[in-house]
Amino acid sequence: MDAAIRRAWLATRYLLIGAGVSLACYLMVGLLLLGLAATLLVVGAGILPETVQTVRRFASFERRRVGARTGEGVPEAYLPLTGPLAERLRHATTDPATYRDLRWVLAQLLYGLVLWYLSLLLWVPALIVDGIWCGVLGRRPVVLPVIEVLADLSCSWTRALLQPPPGADLAQRVEQLTETRAGAVAAHGAELRRIERDLHDGTQARLVALSMRIGLAKRAYDRDPEAARKLLDDAQDQAEQALAELRHVVRGIHPPVLTDRGLDGAVRALAASSGLTVEVSADGVADGPRAPAAVEAAAYFVVAEALTNAAKHSGADTAEVALSRMDGKLRVLVRDHGRGGADESAGSGLVGVRRRVAALDGTVSLTSPVGGPTEIEVELPCAW
Amino acid sequence: MRVVIAEDNALLREGLVLLVQSAGHEVAGVASTGPEILPLLLEHRPDAAVLDVRMPPGFRDEGLRAALDARESLPDLPVLVLSQYVEETYAAELLGGGARGVGYLLKDRVGRVDEFLDALERVASGGTALDPEVVTELLSRRRKDSPLETLTAREREVLQLMAEGHDNATIAKSLVITERSVHKHIGNVFTKLELPPTEGGHRRVRAVLAYLNG
Repeated sequence: MDAAIRRAWLATRYLLIGAGVSLACYLMVGLLLLGLAATLLVVGAGILPETVQTVRRFASFERRRVGARTGEGVPEAYLPLTGPLAERLRHATTDPATYRDLRWVLAQLLYGLVLWYLSLLLWVPALIVDGIWCGVLGRRPVVLPVIEVLADLSCSWTRALLQPPPGADLAQRVEQLTETRAGAVAAHGAELRRIERDLHDGTQARLVALSMRIGLAKRAYDRDPEAARKLLDDAQDQAEQALAELRHVVRGIHPPVLTDRGLDGAVRALAASSGLTVEVSADGVADGPRAPAAVEAAAYFVVAEALTNAAKHSGADTAEVALSRMDGKLRVLVRDHGRGGADESAGSGLVGVRRRVAALDGTVSLTSPVGGPTEIEVELPCAW
Repeated sequence: MRVVIAEDNALLREGLVLLVQSAGHEVAGVASTGPEILPLLLEHRPDAAVLDVRMPPGFRDEGLRAALDARESLPDLPVLVLSQYVEETYAAELLGGGARGVGYLLKDRVGRVDEFLDALERVASGGTALDPEVVTELLSRRRKDSPLETLTAREREVLQLMAEGHDNATIAKSLVITERSVHKHIGNVFTKLELPPTEGGHRRVRAVLAYLNG
């Protein structure tokens, strides 16, 4: 009897919280309509993705509750609501999961309240009937289990409504990959154009000027040796500047020290020239096969940017760099013990880092509370 | 003097040979791959070696490693390392252990024939020739409250040239000032950086570089 009462009580509590969620659903329907109206009027386009995000939180909350009660989790598959507003808006409105959630919101509004109400009504007959039937006559309880059935019913409806169709998470992954690949291709294109421009406007132009000066010097050679000498001096300056520019372009594509010394050695070289006391640890990176060149270069630029920022802005004297080889990825962590409060929007350096890392399907997380420490963690997927 | 040259690019190799010979020096031997360097140096025992950093077979830092290896077996061998780009770390490795006769220059500098030959002779006589770009990088490191911040613009210029390995006469000439004022500026630099005064040219350079590398 006691056990049956406890189980019925747990079921009622489950339904009570569900009723709370129903009330929240009521609010959300209002919010959604408001967000939709605001979007149509353009002024409040930002509200809609936020509302969809809130709906997702409630749906996730219900998924977890169903998982906890039935012992079998309900999978989740959403398109991420990040990036610029237009993209968030697009994801919020095109993700099939949004409409699945919406269907659930409307259904939950009804069955959440009704089932809870029924469970309350059943308690009176349950206590009377089962009190006699089970408590006095020693038979199995008959009404109390009905309350449990109500909660189970709620669980299976919620599951049916919130369960993504088979293959949805794969579809989501494909969508994500398509996007990062498009990003990578775009980044690669932009990079090629930048290199082309650097070479075309800088080095090539300088070599033309250089050749011209040598030509002029040849003409002046006999009649005005002094002028010829000056032209040759100029020509040499031009040649040196062209070389310096080429070096700069090469460094931007793939730092030569990476080729010479590998990621471990290159990062140690960065640390040595940073002006800070940097502790470098390279867990399993130095030995074994090397990471792909693009991954090494991205990791190198992350460390270079983080150490430059640390030396310039953080006021720190010391920093740590940790490279670790992990299963299927390379992890880079840079931490300084400075004053923190790094503002990502203030500098373009971190934006470049994010783009470079995103192009390789990696992740960047930056934490920099006021008072420090500043920590940037980057994970780059790669096959070792 | 007798010089061994290691450079894999045939054009540059021929150029370097011509250059060294034009100054009246003898080219004792040339190497075009990394593994050839050390045996060649041991065979000829030259007065100086000019080595390219990136060499076959690996095209990484074979030349630099050969320079460091050569120092083990021939501690007094002056080595001038040339590279398409400069890295502070490499400079620190070359200058480490109080070695004498060390040069580390960008390949571009070869174009300034007189300056290059001057650097080669300086290295051969136990001096230092450090590329201006390395020194600029060393000087631009931002450390808080560094005494470097207290140097005047002129003192920085003098320090830069001194760290590159130039003597007072050359510094005076390139800054168009008298040797006496160079001497005075150097004195000020040493006082501000709290370095013990040293008279000997090469030792003085080493003290400054050790400070900047610190």
